[in-house]
Amino acid sequence: MIEIRELVFEYPGHRALAGVSLTIVKGSITALVGPNGAGKTTLLRCMAALETPYSGHVTIDGLDTREAPRAIHAGLGYLPDFFGLYDALSVRRCLHYAARAHGIAPEAAAAAAEAAAVRVGLADRMEQAAGQLSRGLRQRLAIAQAIVHQPKVLLLDEPAAGLDPKARRDLSRLLLVLRDGGMTLVVSSHILAELEDYSDRMVIVDRGRIAGGDSIALKTGARLRIRLASPRDDLQSFLAGQGVTILKADSDHAVASMSADASARARLLAALIAAGFAVADFTEDARALEDVYFSQTGGAA
Amino acid sequence: MNPELQRNLWLEASPFRLALIAGLVLLAFAASSVAPPAFATPSRAALALYWFFAVLWGTRSAALSVVAEIRERTWDGQKLSSIGPWEMVWGKLFGATAANWFGALLCLPFILWPAVRDTGLVSALMYGVILLALGVFAQAVALLSSLVLIRRNTGNWRLDTFLCQVAGIVAAFTYYSLWSSVSAFERSGTSTLDWWGHTFNLSSFHLVSLLVFLGWALVGCWRAMRAELRFTNGPYVWLAYLFYSAVYSAGFESWMGRQLPWQSHGAAAKLALASLTLLASTYGMAFLEPKDTVRLRWLGEQLGRGRLYRVFLALDCWMLSYAATLTAGLVLAVLWTASSPVSSLMVLAMLGFLTRDVAIFVLMQSRAGGKGDFAALAMLGALYLLLPTVLAGLGLHGLDFLFLPVGMLSVVAGWGEGAACAYLALRRIAR
Repeated sequence: MIEIRELVFEYPGHRALAGVSLTIVKGSITALVGPNGAGKTTLLRCMAALETPYSGHVTIDGLDTREAPRAIHAGLGYLPDFFGLYDALSVRRCLHYAARAHGIAPEAAAAAAEAAAVRVGLADRMEQAAGQLSRGLRQRLAIAQAIVHQPKVLLLDEPAAGLDPKARRDLSRLLLVLRDGGMTLVVSSHILAELEDYSDRMVIVDRGRIAGGDSIALKTGARLRIRLASPRDDLQSFLAGQGVTILKADSDHAVASMSADASARARLLAALIAAGFAVADFTEDARALEDVYFSQTGGAA
Repeated sequence: MNPELQRNLWLEASPFRLALIAGLVLLAFAASSVAPPAFATPSRAALALYWFFAVLWGTRSAALSVVAEIRERTWDGQKLSSIGPWEMVWGKLFGATAANWFGALLCLPFILWPAVRDTGLVSALMYGVILLALGVFAQAVALLSSLVLIRRNTGNWRLDTFLCQVAGIVAAFTYYSLWSSVSAFERSGTSTLDWWGHTFNLSSFHLVSLLVFLGWALVGCWRAMRAELRFTNGPYVWLAYLFYSAVYSAGFESWMGRQLPWQSHGAAAKLALASLTLLASTYGMAFLEPKDTVRLRWLGEQLGRGRLYRVFLALDCWMLSYAATLTAGLVLAVLWTASSPVSSLMVLAMLGFLTRDVAIFVLMQSRAGGKGDFAALAMLGALYLLLPTVLAGLGLHGLDFLFLPVGMLSVVAGWGEGAACAYLALRRIAR
């Protein structure tokens, strides 16, 4: 869907991207992670055809950002890190304008605005001024503006910054719904925990380069963390017998990789209890993304 | 409806705001109609209010139509939209100023009615067209300035808005004062003007000039908006503007010859006027346009690879203006070699100093970013004013040639300084 080849971008006196090559898979959510100043925003802006690179190419759906930026804009939604809204306009007018500005015909604009509002859960606030919305709702409105024309690609720069836990959870759900609807999403953040819930792939940007060379697949299987209330020396051998891959284990604790299938996990838990293991903790390891990140960056970040 | 126009109308022309403007205007007329005639008349109050709405406030609204998008961080959203550059320009130009035009148009009948009574219908209509064109011209200049200024990324929206407003107001007042001079000429019995050897009615010429420059201002807005919306602008429109402005100014040679003790007539004098116009455009664009070192290095790299046409298509306005000035100046120097060798040397020296000054603009911006242009201006002020004054104070008039285009040595000094500054600028770009 998105192909990036040998992308170089320079600001005066500073090379922000130093030969980035990358492939973003269609219908995926790719997390763009890295420390502040690593080049994530510049990379997103190059993908959005808002910046002209010094050299190299970005193609989206076969269109080169340098040669056909306007055609790319037509099929793209972009949420900048510091997004702006027309505070004096109502939600309805904001979305109506966004629809018309993205080329939706006047007779279809009202319906498109309504549909976008429903998608982000703002249908009941259509007459409220954008400036009167809470931070989380403003974020939703900004996303609604970015998706009102149903783009194939949605780029989001730090979308969860400043959101409370509930708003973050809602955002995760929304992004998954958009992906399931066929959209390709690239989400940048320097907070790994918030990307865990919805990312399929991860790209680590570090000092203008892609750590590890390309995007890394996530969630190919679940990582389970098992903790016992009473230690048992046969924990490792028992787990091996259940067909899971043990990543690390001792007498009261194990991290294992297995199928993401929920029934398989339920069977494993039942087998452990049936075998008399005092299971105190049986959870999906939430640190998977972080582990991958630090394994690629050598813990430098 | 143009979505940009509609959005601006939603924001700027609320019924409450329009009612407030109408109420204030009518109140002002009522006050002026009962005030002593020496103090104010309704037509004079209407003219003052027209200037306020269309020019003073209108230029601010036009400038803010772009600068506020940057301030409110909505500009990226606009750049990603499907709205075309021309749609965007006129949507902003007439949408952001909708309330201003509402107030201005309320004033217009009060200005024109006495004019019809005093000077006749045709003359009053011409006056009306001039006032309308003047308002649009001022706002278009402010909008164009804002589109140029945002490329410099100063981050100071208040200063940017003020500068754009000043540019629009200066453009309008300059034209209006010229028009007032025309009226004075006409009252003194001069009602014609020689331009390229043809005689034109002074008022008509002035009106057509305004409309053509308004057209160029709109083309400039369109072109600047194209660049913002990621369209590629070739060099041809700017070259056409340079050609037009050079031809326009050269046409005044015969008229100026009569007004001033002009020594050299004919082709050389026409070329001199054209060269001065090109020189002004070079300094103007060298100050206004961003001179991004990364982009300059990219241009150099393309040049090194022999991609000449690609480089030509990507040249900035200041580069084209500089090349045009250099070409016109060299031809002028050759034309004056026999008839006026001193003038010929002065032109050559001026070209050397121009090269130095352009290189200073590039050098200063590479060191200090957007503020570098102001540093370059200060430096030029020192080179052209302060240092010669100091030398004169010390009685060292003989060293003037180092800073001013006077005499043979100034040719050597000008080009020597030009080469040195260009070398430093190129070294900075290549770094």
